[in-house]
Order: sequence, then C-alpha cells, then structure tokens
Amino acid sequence: MNIFLHEMKASLKSLLIWCGILLLFIILVTAKYSAFAGDPSMLAIIDTLPKPMIDAMNLRAFNLTTVTGFYELMYLYFALIGGIAAAMWGSDMISKEERDRTVEFSLVLPVSRNKVITAKALAALVNSIVFVMVTWLVSIVAVAPFTPDQAFFDFLRIEMAAMFTIELIFLAIGLLLGCAMKQYKRSGSTAVAIILGTYFLSVMSAMQEKLDFLKYFTPFKYFDAGKLLRTGQMDGNSLLLSAGIIVVCVTAAYLTYNKRDLYI
Amino acid sequence: MSANIFNFEFRSRLRSVLIWSLALTGIMFFYFSIFQTFAAQAALMNELLARFPPALLEAFGMNKIDMSTVLGFYAFVFTFIQLCLAIQAGNYGFGLISIEENEMTADFLLSKPVSRTQLLTSKLLAALSSLAVTELVVWVVSFAVITIFRDSYEYQSGTLVLLLVSMLFLQLFFMSVGLVISLLVKRVRSVTPYSLGLSFGAYVLAAVSGVFGEVKLEYITPFKHLDPAAIVQNAAYNTPLLILNIAITVVALASSYWIYLRRDIPVVS
Repeated sequence: MNIFLHEMKASLKSLLIWCGILLLFIILVTAKYSAFAGDPSMLAIIDTLPKPMIDAMNLRAFNLTTVTGFYELMYLYFALIGGIAAAMWGSDMISKEERDRTVEFSLVLPVSRNKVITAKALAALVNSIVFVMVTWLVSIVAVAPFTPDQAFFDFLRIEMAAMFTIELIFLAIGLLLGCAMKQYKRSGSTAVAIILGTYFLSVMSAMQEKLDFLKYFTPFKYFDAGKLLRTGQMDGNSLLLSAGIIVVCVTAAYLTYNKRDLYI
Repeated sequence: MSANIFNFEFRSRLRSVLIWSLALTGIMFFYFSIFQTFAAQAALMNELLARFPPALLEAFGMNKIDMSTVLGFYAFVFTFIQLCLAIQAGNYGFGLISIEENEMTADFLLSKPVSRTQLLTSKLLAALSSLAVTELVVWVVSFAVITIFRDSYEYQSGTLVLLLVSMLFLQLFFMSVGLVISLLVKRVRSVTPYSLGLSFGAYVLAAVSGVFGEVKLEYITPFKHLDPAAIVQNAAYNTPLLILNIAITVVALASSYWIYLRRDIPVVS
C-alpha cells in the first residue's frame, strides 16, 4: 500500500502533463470542428455518395456534420495518445528504480518482488483509468455546445471502453518491457519501437486487401470506430485477443522480474 | 568546440543512429514494396477519387496527395519518416544536457577546462552530426527505393530534394525545442516520455488539422510547417511557415545557451 501511494504521488506530475496534452488536443480540435459542425452543404455532398463505392474502397465516410462522426474520427488519436501514455507508465514504473539507483532500497523493504510489481502495476492502472475518465469528461464538456444526442453518449461510452482496452494492452506490454529488459535504458526505446511499429502496421493494413491480416498485430486496429458505432459493442474476437496479450504480458512480467539480476 | 567531447558524444550515439537508420530503411522498403500494386490501380483509383466530393477527400487527406505518382506516394510515406526523425531529434535534444545530470556526471564534465559555451556547442554539433548521418541514410535509401520500385513512373528529382532537405529543418526544430524544454523543467528523469509527448502531440495535431481545412493549427505544429503533401503539390516550401519554423528553432537555441550558462547544476552531494 505504501509503495502504491508513493508511486501514485511520484507519477502525478506525469499524469497531469498527459492530461494537459489531451486537454489541449481536444480543445484545439473542437475549435477546428466548430467551423464544420452542422454545415448542411457538407451533409448534402456526403449523401450523394454511392454506398458501394465507399465500401469497395474500404473508406468509411465519417459524417463530420454530426458530433458522433467527429468522434469516430477522433478514436484513432485517442487510442494513440492513450496507448503511448500507458506504455510509458508501464515501463517507467519499473525501470526508473534502476535508473535512479533506488532499486536496492525498495527491495530491502519487507515485501516480495511480486508485491512491488503489483503495487506499481496498480498505480499505473489507476493512472490509466484516470486518463480515460478525464478524456471522457473533457469530451462531454467540449462537445456540449453542439447539443449531442443520446446516441452520441452511447457511442462515447463504448469508444472510451475501447480506448481503455488499448491502454491496458500497452500498459501490460510496457510492464513486461520494464521487467524483462536487462538494461533499463532499453525498455523505453523498445516501447517506442513497438508503438511506432504497431502504428505503421495499422496504416499499412488499411492500404491493401492482402495486407489485411496485419490487423491482428496492431492493437490500433482491434476496434474499428465505425463498427463500434454500428454494432454498439466491442468485437468479441478482438476482446479475447486483447485479454490474451494482457494476461501473457503480465504473467511474463512477474516471472521475469523474479529471476532478474538487477542493475545497481 | 572541444574535439574530445564531440568524439565522445558522437560515438555514444552511433548505436542509436544505426538503429534509427535501419528502422527508417525498413519502413521505406516496406511501404514502397506495395507501390507498384498501388500504381497499377492508379487510373482506376483516380477515376474513383474524381467522383468523390473535394470536402470528403480533404477529410481523408487525399486531396493533396495523388498516390498514383511516385512523389505523391513518397510524400505519404514521408510523413511517417518525419515522425520517426522528430522522435529521434527530440530524444537527442531532451537528453543532451539532462543525461549528464541524471547520471551524475555533470560536475565531472564541468570540471574540465572547457567553458559551458564550448561544452554546449560541442554537444550540439555532435548531436547534429548524428542526425545528419541518419538523414544521409534517408537520402540514399529514398533514391534507392524510388529507383528500384518506380518502374516506368516519372518523378521530379528537384521536389524530392526539397523534401529531403526539409528533414534538416524538422530535426533542428525538435532538437532545439527539446533542449530548451529540458532546461526549463526542473529535472528530466526519462527522455522518452518527453520526446514522445512532443513529437506525437505535434503529429496528431497535424493529422487532425488536415481534416478540417482552414484553421490556424498550422502555426503550432512543425509537421505542418513542412507538410510533405504541400511541398510536393507546390514544388516549393511554404515560405512564411518555414521562416516561422526557423525562427522558433533559433529562439530555442539562443535561450538554451542563455539558460545553460546560468544554470545551477545538480551534483552528487
């Protein structure tokens, strides 16, 4: 519990900075969007589009005249920001002890290594939860001037659930990196590599039909904003896959950290 | 400028430069390997796109980029190259001074017979050289992938050179801004979250700002100062934005020197 509280306090600043970035992002983009909202000429243009063409080209027409369409578009960016923040929290929580030369101190405390990881992981988890909640609240406040309907709030709820799942995946990956990397400096850079790699894969997989299989390798493609809106629920297979990744990463994190030769 | 510091700094980044260069090479080959399939469907695609309303194309950022041309496709890939280069430059900028203070080597370094100005200049030049080596790799690989995969498609090498030169401005921007932020905050414990926050923040803003057209987001994100799609479309830089970009870089660098010369250095007590 002490470790948990200490970690919460230590990561408060980082949480505030990430929330600041997010706040700035939502405010700026909403300001841009306000020029667009409710413009009937835009709607008329989109209505003239033949549906099969959109499907054939694998393009979803975001109906940008409604807030819901606008938030469909925002999904990828929320996932990206949330994923990065969570991966950083996960890897940093563990590796910073070695960087700041405090790992011997925390391990002479009368707690097992398992307990240390658990406390740290919980702190990172709480950060992630707070981050999603802040996104949710700020979004509700930011779009209030556009008088969103009930459908929007339903969609926002499921979008936030998807964002949270992505955060959890990256948190678990970050945790594993922090625990498993022999050199603490590598955990951060490997996390960058994974984030960039999965992001590029998600772009690639949309570009061509035969590269579609790539979507299994990138969490950013697990949930599709359009599908979330149409079905109103998260894809079962993707949820299973996400749960699998999280369980494997977290288990591996505990196993490796217990056997780790720590850098002091 | 001290040759020892320069050599040490440059050598300590070799590994990182190598990894970034390999990653960038991989990305370019990976994306360009599907260029021919794309280009083969070019006529079909353009025909389809022509029937889309301009506003919608803009929403997908496809109004500027004609992906059926070599340079259009390259500009699309180049946005990802830019993102990587920005993170690399941000890493070097944020780490330039803070790494000494984290590893408690700042007092050792400052006890050497070099002035702080010399120290900062040597470090900056070393980081810049490391960035330049990475850029050189991108230059070579860019021409290579285009030669290999372009088939019979033509392109203007002048515009390509413009794009490639823009890397220097982008990296200088992120390195200088990173450096000045690292000097402004009390302590940078870990470089990665900072540089990721800065680069991805700017990248996401640029990506979203493309959707909504005319609002003034262009001014605050360097990815818009050096928008590859716009460079390819106009075969020229957007001069006011480029000047703004350079001005921010210069201000950041100048204030870094000013702050660093007056900085209270944390030491082992």
